[in-house]
Amino acid sequence: MKYILMMNTMRAGHGVPEWPQKDLRTHIAFMMSLNKELRESGELVSAEGLSFPEQARLVRAGKNGAPVTDGVFPESKEFLAGYWIVDVDSAERAYAIAAKASAAPGPGGAPLNMPIEVRPIMSGPPLEML
Amino acid sequence: MKYILLMSGTSAGVEAYHAWPKEDIEAHMAVLWRINQDLTESGEFVATQGLAGPREAKVVRGEKNGVPVTDGIFPESKEFLLGYWIVDVPNAERAYAIAGRISAASTNIPIEVRQFATYETKS
Repeated sequence: MKYILMMNTMRAGHGVPEWPQKDLRTHIAFMMSLNKELRESGELVSAEGLSFPEQARLVRAGKNGAPVTDGVFPESKEFLAGYWIVDVDSAERAYAIAAKASAAPGPGGAPLNMPIEVRPIMSGPPLEML
Repeated sequence: MKYILLMSGTSAGVEAYHAWPKEDIEAHMAVLWRINQDLTESGEFVATQGLAGPREAKVVRGEKNGVPVTDGIFPESKEFLLGYWIVDVPNAERAYAIAGRISAASTNIPIEVRQFATYETKS
């Protein structure tokens, strides 16, 4: 079963965290080692990081089909910072991986315990819609 | 450049969609299918996924005695990711044009367009 693990941790106006260089490196090394582990266990489908919110745009279709873009977001809006897609045997395994990612080291090496949203991925539209 | 096009909505929005007449849902699906087909033919398609509904979502924070701490209660107003498209296009304008087409096919729901991060080594 495929699950997506989402880090919805970014806020508008925030860029690279202002942590000591050493702590940033430890954080990145942790994430790379987690990805390596998941690749070796055959559970990693993909992992991506997204650019910072100042480049984000909301797009709606305007009249004549031309896109209408907007880059102003409420301060409370959560932005996706990155995600993992994993192919695992159970929801519990997806939660265990999410817990690991959640506890990634932050400033001073302390676990961040950031919230990770875990959702099953549909392999197709629900049957009743076909 | 790779962009991700994110379609989000609330639980109430998802329920309203499920209440659409069957033929409207079919017509909507057919247009989205057509867009995927066009992107595949133009070589811009990377991936697309639909996500299961908010009822199956959990938020995980750290762990206690090796057990992940999960929570499945969300505020009514919370926006959930419903699905996404990843496209590989020459510029942001092209990503916006594709997002506009998806939006037009889906009751003008706003589509968030974000570029993938490219990692640079900082000195």
